[in-house]
Amino acid sequence: MTPRSVQLHLGATACLISLVLIFVGIPHAVSSPSNVSNIVLSPTFWPYVLSGFTGLTGVGLVLAGLRVNPSEFFEDEPENDSLGLLRLAALAIIMVVTMFALPILGMVWTTMLVFAFTAFLFRTRHPRTAIICAIVIPLALYVFFAHVAGVGIPQGNFLRLP
Amino acid sequence: MSLMDNLLAGLSLVASFEVFFALFVGICIGVVGGAIPGLSATMAVALTLPFTFSLQPITGILLLLGVYKGGIFGGCIPAILIKTPGTPASSATILDGHPMAEKGESGRALGMALWASCTADIVSNLALILFAGWLASFALKFGPPEFFALILFSLTIIAGVSGESLLRGALAAILGLLLATVGLDLVYGTNRFTFGDPNMMGGLNFIAVLIGLFAIPEIIAMAWNPVAHLGKPRALGQSKVTFADYKRCFKSIIRGSVIGVFLGSIPGIGAAPSAFLSYSEARRKSPNKENFGKGEIEGVAASEAGNNGVAGATLIPLLALGVPGDVITAIIIGAFMVHGLQPGPMMFILNVDIIYGLFIGLIVSSVFLFIVGSVAIKGFRFVADVPKRILMPAVLVLCIYGVFAVNNNIFDVGVMFAMGWVGYLMMRYRIPAAPFLIAFILGPLLEDNFRQAMLMSGSDPMILIRGPITWFFWVVTIITVVAITRSVVSKDKLGV
Repeated sequence: MTPRSVQLHLGATACLISLVLIFVGIPHAVSSPSNVSNIVLSPTFWPYVLSGFTGLTGVGLVLAGLRVNPSEFFEDEPENDSLGLLRLAALAIIMVVTMFALPILGMVWTTMLVFAFTAFLFRTRHPRTAIICAIVIPLALYVFFAHVAGVGIPQGNFLRLP
Repeated sequence: MSLMDNLLAGLSLVASFEVFFALFVGICIGVVGGAIPGLSATMAVALTLPFTFSLQPITGILLLLGVYKGGIFGGCIPAILIKTPGTPASSATILDGHPMAEKGESGRALGMALWASCTADIVSNLALILFAGWLASFALKFGPPEFFALILFSLTIIAGVSGESLLRGALAAILGLLLATVGLDLVYGTNRFTFGDPNMMGGLNFIAVLIGLFAIPEIIAMAWNPVAHLGKPRALGQSKVTFADYKRCFKSIIRGSVIGVFLGSIPGIGAAPSAFLSYSEARRKSPNKENFGKGEIEGVAASEAGNNGVAGATLIPLLALGVPGDVITAIIIGAFMVHGLQPGPMMFILNVDIIYGLFIGLIVSSVFLFIVGSVAIKGFRFVADVPKRILMPAVLVLCIYGVFAVNNNIFDVGVMFAMGWVGYLMMRYRIPAAPFLIAFILGPLLEDNFRQAMLMSGSDPMILIRGPITWFFWVVTIITVVAITRSVVSKDKLGV
């Protein structure tokens, strides 16, 4: 991405967000009582003001983007990598599965799996250390949070820890 | 009683091994608690509170104050080493602390953080002792219009943390303000962007948003390119902070300490805005302003001075008026009450020995903080030597536990993951995260005070300029906005 495309993309997205909020988001997702005495006290007032500012900033970004030289580029731009995209997708899947697994498997077992999968996703050069850490760190955190801090760590439906 | 009598009464109360040992242990607990991302100083103080019930009042309260001070400092350690603030107050320290760690100067950054923290701590304690009554009475004059003007002024600090583009910083800030509107409306109790989910009615959990925005994008970036860190000097490096560094940053440290004292003495502002304001001011005044955000030691000094300057000052309204200055002092007020003490003006008459005992204990705490901090730096900085592809999964697991522990709610873990992807997209599109976070903190305060002011005045906007305090903040806000605009225009003309 070039500085120009970043500004233009961001500006266009900000304008789109602003329009969606003003015409769809706020009317449908913000409830306002009918007896509000003054518009400035309405629950919708602040979101409308902020949506307006989002649109204005978007316009500003587009205008600023149009003034940027198209030949300029970022020196530290990360390279496009199809494997990188696959890894991102895998991490997203790990996160989604974590949310479903936490109440079923419990936090300790889920985080052990999360640790192991993530370490191997990152292609660790220390697989044994990763396995040991995947077991020890969630257990140590469980002991601290459950027995020292008194936090009710989810235990899951299968194997419960003391 | 004279000042000397009061001091001697206080000294007789604290001059025991048990009291100083409790203070020392409190600082150790605080540093460890602050250094664990997701645990935070607030949680460390809350967890220690039950242990004070069996102690003498002065011992128990100093134990908690030790945890508080240690926790605020401890937060800078993971902020510098792994770009994950241990406490929200350390968010500003990331901006220059982590780039220094990336350059192999984490030892120097941590050393400066410690020196700045201890200096600010001393300044803050002295301010507490000297100005308690005066500053607290000033803060008592603040109503919703004054708070609105103050917070509006605080939002101008976003310009200082916007990085290469002010417009992208402004966009981040507005998105942060928008996200802060999620939850029940405080005046009418109606739903705003909750989509019928009870988990969202209290708004999004601040810790989940904070960790999601700062820690998770690093983990996602590692998935994109797991070998990007190779070849970068992640080790400690041999460089240590020198007296010359300290001398060079001294003005910023003192300025940050004063900002911390001022904002800390006003209930509800907290350490994070103070750290960002101190950072922004240091950047504005520094001859090396172009290095800020790239690993400038003065940035670390200013942000740490800003957040530690708050620690003693939040006790000013607590002791003088019985009003807690922030969340942590709200927990500490509980410790007073458990021991049958009621903080407020009468305490200066009825329990003057405890007041002066606390003052003496707080001064000693700065020395203990220096000792414990020096040891903690040597111990914790080895985190930098842990292979990053083992460290990042560990940070992910720690974040899951830490975020869950705040409210015992799995939903918060989901918020953290979602904010992590938002933070990653912001990183890729070069939108700074700091303005987003500042706006997310200040947003509810800004809106609530605005609406309270409107309710007070029957929707007459003139209430927002009702007196000298509001005039002052409006004038400084306008001056700052004009200065920012001029700076942007002149940069544009120069083609920078």
